[in-house]
Amino acid sequence: MAQGGASDLAKREQRLAYWLLAPTFIVLLLIAIYPLMSVVYNSFTNAVFASTTPTEFVGFQNYRTLLSVTVKSIPPKRDEAGNPIIDERTGEVAYESAVSVLPREPQRFRQVTQFSLFGNRYVLGATDPDFIRSVWDTVVFTVATVFLELVLGMIVALIVNANFKGRGLMRAIILVPWAVPTAVSSQMWAYMLQPNRTGFFNTVFWYLGLGSGEIPFLSDPTWQLPSMIMIDVWKTTPFMALLLLAGLQLIPSDIYEAANVDGAGPLRQFFQMTLPMLRGTIAVALVFRTLDALRVFDLFQIVLGQARYSMASYTYYQLIQNRQMGYSSASSVVIFLVLSIFAIIYMRSLGVRSDER
Amino acid sequence: MSRKFVPLFSLFLVVMLILAACGGGQSAPTPTTAPAEAPAEAPTPTEAAAEAPTAEATGEGEVVHLRFISGGPGAGLDFTMQQVEEWNANHPNIQVEVIAGPTSATDRYGLYLQTFQAQSSDIDVMEIDVIWPGDLAEHLVDLNEYGGAEAVADDFPAIVQNNTVDGRLVGLPFFTDGGLLYYRTDLLEKYGYSGPPTTWAELEEMAQAIQDGERAEGNQDFWGFVWQGKAYEGLTCDALEWIYSSGGGTIVSPDKVITINNQAAAEALDMAYNWIGKITPPGVTGFQEEESRRVWHGGNAAFMRNWPYAYSLSNGEDSAVAGKFDVTALPGKEPGMSAATLGGWQLAVSKYSQHPKEAAEFVMWLASAESQKARAINISLIPTKRSLYEDPEVIAAQPFMAKMLPVFTSAVARPSTVTAPRYNEVSNIFFTNVSDVLTGKQNGTDAVANIELDLQDLLGFEVGAP
Repeated sequence: MAQGGASDLAKREQRLAYWLLAPTFIVLLLIAIYPLMSVVYNSFTNAVFASTTPTEFVGFQNYRTLLSVTVKSIPPKRDEAGNPIIDERTGEVAYESAVSVLPREPQRFRQVTQFSLFGNRYVLGATDPDFIRSVWDTVVFTVATVFLELVLGMIVALIVNANFKGRGLMRAIILVPWAVPTAVSSQMWAYMLQPNRTGFFNTVFWYLGLGSGEIPFLSDPTWQLPSMIMIDVWKTTPFMALLLLAGLQLIPSDIYEAANVDGAGPLRQFFQMTLPMLRGTIAVALVFRTLDALRVFDLFQIVLGQARYSMASYTYYQLIQNRQMGYSSASSVVIFLVLSIFAIIYMRSLGVRSDER
Repeated sequence: MSRKFVPLFSLFLVVMLILAACGGGQSAPTPTTAPAEAPAEAPTPTEAAAEAPTAEATGEGEVVHLRFISGGPGAGLDFTMQQVEEWNANHPNIQVEVIAGPTSATDRYGLYLQTFQAQSSDIDVMEIDVIWPGDLAEHLVDLNEYGGAEAVADDFPAIVQNNTVDGRLVGLPFFTDGGLLYYRTDLLEKYGYSGPPTTWAELEEMAQAIQDGERAEGNQDFWGFVWQGKAYEGLTCDALEWIYSSGGGTIVSPDKVITINNQAAAEALDMAYNWIGKITPPGVTGFQEEESRRVWHGGNAAFMRNWPYAYSLSNGEDSAVAGKFDVTALPGKEPGMSAATLGGWQLAVSKYSQHPKEAAEFVMWLASAESQKARAINISLIPTKRSLYEDPEVIAAQPFMAKMLPVFTSAVARPSTVTAPRYNEVSNIFFTNVSDVLTGKQNGTDAVANIELDLQDLLGFEVGAP
């Protein structure tokens, strides 16, 4: 910004700056703003992908279908005398089917999950349970991977920051997982996680006496997310380590010498000196990784396909398989908003500033 | 800086090479068993190709380049490549480039839609699944304009009907398909069974007995029955067979009635769930065709549900079951209630192709009787031409084909025509719910109720008994 009473020279400089910025701004308009706007526009229509079907304006209908959720209590099954029936197989009270309690009008709610609270059974329903599940799964995936990558990345960075022989080679080696394209490494892991002993993990577990050698890592719901998290941690920890290493190298080494003289142990040095000085670096790394993890696509698409969705792979599925261009645009907008909210929270709470004032 | 870079880069190269080497060894999707050259007695398609008028097809000296998206890597693709090489040698003016498509049909469908949305002329010819003609018709050339009617005169009428949308012939039948039961003749004999099972209960009993026996002899990896249980279109095919053969109908009847919500269908799904862990590996919920075939191929299964393509591969040199197996119709709830889901692929020409005439000429040749005969003999794909079932060379090479003719002609179709253009969503609702049954998230009764409700919302059809 120019100050009041700026000289002619400053004004001229400013004008020149605007002229120099103009091309960039126009290009941005074309390649970023225009597609974004067209997605927002499409999200209010029922457009069909790759079809000549006429498009109609449907208002907020797509968003309603995506985001409507409800919680209903499920009554237990009762015999003629009115006593709850006990399921023979599980030994627990049997409940009516969730379908009977979820509303069907104006749009049908379907079960996302069931949970028990104070002895009652509840069902969480949604008009689009797949999307709600994909949001939940993506958030869980994000929190878990970012946390693990930060911890492991920190450990790796501290190790390769130390002085030892072959440090350069070590730094090169840790970067390998990050250098492999995600599409390739995802496929690689998918092969390793095969549900029989053609898969690396099943073979190893079997030799160690864990499991039957037939663990369906990628189709059993309990294993799916842990598998995804493991792959992402393997792949992205090096990147995290690299960022943190850059931060570590900025810390002058003489303060550690001083700390040694004062008798501070390594743990205390880490928590009272290294960590505070890395704060900015960690903040940047967290923002990067969180936003990346929230829009994860290739990993889920390649390894799980339609067995389980991330927000982005669900959007892809709705567009490409179901040809629902309007609906998938709406879910894209939702993803965009979720990312923005995360970004804003981060900026505020970690004090990452966009300008140096 | 650059000095640091050298080790990093060379290391990266080394790792990449190692990865590539591993990939070549373990992850090649199919061991190719198509012979490098067609056996002497197999007729080469050159004669047919030679008759095709080529000189007038294009201006003198102008070469037309066509792109053909074929199936994923495997024996089928290898053989198609050989056939296309032959075509290219005989047609200097029409050069066809074969591109391996994604292995999964679902991914392939997505790829086609993207090129159609962009109205791209990058793809001229493509293979389309039997369930897509209604869905993709608006983007495909009417082959009747290029003499398609004569070309399909000998094909099964049901498939021609399927490929004709509003009077437009949008695909030429390339090969047909139906689910078959593969069984180990040697093991059946060893455990004292006189023939393959005709009911699901018999299959269960035989599979359990053989599995127990083989494991007692030390083969810990042995399983009774493998099939396709991953959440994808293949599961729709498998589950439709269980349901239809139990008297549970076809999900949606041809006269627009949703019939899935019935006791027989629910029991059929529960039956499949009960196989898992007993006679079927738990990993089946991640199996597509190739995963199940690999278990079978290694000699680790007594029974397999699969398509005919597995027949010649199972007789290949690297197969542990070569000469020890046979195929038959799948079992039913009662003897004679067998069902096979109709599969198969068609050849189509994109409306956005810049050379529709040449592309049509090429697909006519690739879908011709001679070409189908070569494919039947070499890679056991089922011809769609009726005359080939009486062809002595085909019968000699693939004796099972003539025997299985009733299975292919009476195969049960997925409800793709009646629900077009929404079949993909119908199938997705169906296989997602079935997958939830197989992974223990819901029982069969809830699943069929859920499927019915979802289909009502999606299609607005009436509900009724099958």
